[in-house]
Amino acid sequence: MATEYGGYMGKVLRINLTTREVDEYPFSDRERELFIGGKTMAAKILSDHFKGTEQPFSDENMMVITTGPMTGSGAPSSSRFNISTLSPLTGYVTSSNCGGNFGYYLKKAGLDALIVQGHCEKPTWLEINSGKVIFHEADDFWGMKTGATQEALDEKMKLPNGRVRKNGKICIGPAGENQVLYASVVSNERVAGRGGVGAVMGWMRLKAICASGNKEISVKEKEKMVAHTQKWFKYLRKHPLTGEQLPKLGTAGLVSSMQMKGLLSTKNYSEGHFDDFELISGERLAEQYNIVNKGCLTCPIRCSRTVEVEGKAVKGPELETLVLLGSGICNNNLEAVLRWNYELDELGMDTISCANTISYAMEANEKGLWDNGLHFSEIDDLSAVMEKIAHKEGIGAELALGSKRLSEKYGGTEFAIHAKGMELAAYEPRKAVGLGLGYAVSNRGGCHLNGGYAVILEGLGLSVNPTTYHGKADMTMLMQNLMEMISASGQCLFTSYAFFPAPLMSHPNSWYTKLVNAVLPYCGGAVRILNKFPEIAAIHLPVFHHTKGFEYVTGMKMPFGRYMRCGERGYNLERELNRRFGVDATKDALPKRLTDVVQDPKDPNSKVPLEKLKQVYYHARGWDDNGLPTKKLLQKLNIEAK
Amino acid sequence: MVNVQLYGVARLQAGVSSFTSEAKTLKELRGMLPNITKKEAEDLVVLVNGSGVKKSYKFKDGDTVVFLSPAGGG
Repeated sequence: MATEYGGYMGKVLRINLTTREVDEYPFSDRERELFIGGKTMAAKILSDHFKGTEQPFSDENMMVITTGPMTGSGAPSSSRFNISTLSPLTGYVTSSNCGGNFGYYLKKAGLDALIVQGHCEKPTWLEINSGKVIFHEADDFWGMKTGATQEALDEKMKLPNGRVRKNGKICIGPAGENQVLYASVVSNERVAGRGGVGAVMGWMRLKAICASGNKEISVKEKEKMVAHTQKWFKYLRKHPLTGEQLPKLGTAGLVSSMQMKGLLSTKNYSEGHFDDFELISGERLAEQYNIVNKGCLTCPIRCSRTVEVEGKAVKGPELETLVLLGSGICNNNLEAVLRWNYELDELGMDTISCANTISYAMEANEKGLWDNGLHFSEIDDLSAVMEKIAHKEGIGAELALGSKRLSEKYGGTEFAIHAKGMELAAYEPRKAVGLGLGYAVSNRGGCHLNGGYAVILEGLGLSVNPTTYHGKADMTMLMQNLMEMISASGQCLFTSYAFFPAPLMSHPNSWYTKLVNAVLPYCGGAVRILNKFPEIAAIHLPVFHHTKGFEYVTGMKMPFGRYMRCGERGYNLERELNRRFGVDATKDALPKRLTDVVQDPKDPNSKVPLEKLKQVYYHARGWDDNGLPTKKLLQKLNIEAK
Repeated sequence: MVNVQLYGVARLQAGVSSFTSEAKTLKELRGMLPNITKKEAEDLVVLVNGSGVKKSYKFKDGDTVVFLSPAGGG
């Protein structure tokens, strides 16, 4: 539906793969005001359809691919798009976010979002050019890895003059085709990795989508936005995290900090330190392997690394991959991690879930629960194992199920490191208990970002007491709401780190940073007031450029308080949606290793006091004792319960 | 003698990953980091044998001193 707001293309397209019908899905300006875009827009669309009886691999499921109003607006790090669907890995709604250029080209094609339903009889790829949808057979592409698929698509997009029409694409690899439960969707070298979105696309027999067009992405107040963007870029470039650490070391730069703080998941999360951490560190990656830094469209942070594998320049590993395929399996061979990272992207498989499933299998073997031939620190055959997972051959057919299902079959649920069925990220939460809470309550399962990333306060950026439960629930809620809205608007979550004033990060030994570290856990009450009544912050914060940028692009009034309320709405909407599929307090769980066993025998607090944290968190969120949003809260947030 | 290790952006700036030092105090050592001014060194997180220490800390022979830049974002 046409829109009066800038930043939106005013059109959501629904594609039924079974009938090949294409129509416009109504999405009004009132809905844009409430549900913005990205994962929240997707949750609204899914919420309008899902009753809670649907199955991931069925025609009742749908894949909603969304952009945000900031996508392609020229704002910093604004190239993001999102894929939401019913996850085959968790059985709940998942959202998987990705950089690259597909979001930008989807908007250039004139669309804010795509809803894909049904399934194709034969492998198919979709061409979307300026809003027009063309179905193409993909028999020739089926079985191809993601790199070859994208090269083949570019061949198809060649113009009569031989040039490739500018386009953005997403595709799946063999893992998606074979419905590995944690298969990813790949776009250039970027990946919508989590929750098995690639498996759903594979079930639909949809190999790829290619978007192109020349529609204008409108910005409501162009001159003001240009000036604001210049200031915003400058601010991000000056900030110690977004201007120094991430550009110079990438996310890999965290390995050393995590080691020092006991956060480095090691040997399937049984420890927080790895003796050989230097060999898999971001410093070593930068000094010996990084060829060049890369970034997504309009991103000043440029966190992506480029390394050489088999004579090709390819994307380097992120922190999660380095840790979980490094210390996580007691491997100190960095070159092997570089290769696996490339191979997993080529196969179209989430590196986090794959690595954690392998480390679970290694421990199950070590404990005599499952004779599978996998051993910690023995890595020679892992490339072949990954290939087998993608093709569901031999042991790969079992590993393709993820750690939750395997632990239910072979035992060892206490060391199957997942939440709601999705494997945890690389941070060992017993030395960052706020993040432990975040992992447990995260809507999509074991995710550090959807979990609120409290670890940035608990030892990485700041040094708040990592094992106290004080203040963590309220801070987690604040961060979750903030990141939810940044994601919904179409921007990268890394821009949220600039929310923490630069002096606090630049001067960790200053009296004021020490004061903040000491006092923050006891500010839960003040944070709760802000969480509960965000509208009191009817201003734009000088350190947080997102709100003014959002106003200039869309023309919507968006002071900080409203921005936070939109984030809260998004978080609760996903929770309400997942309630229909059975989420409640019992599903907000972590494996016993993390809640019942201390990481450091000398520190009785080095475990996640999850039940205590959950109680405070539910209360802070205004949820009932069963961890569900009350009807009153849903009404207040304009969320319809079913 | 103390063993000094550098991590994060500080290590890239220093151009070395580790060295040994005869410095007697943390304050003295902060002025001895290669390519890092004393003022810049004051803004690095310091751990001695894995734990935080006071600014006035006096080294014991064999201490391992880690200088680390604050970090975030993964």
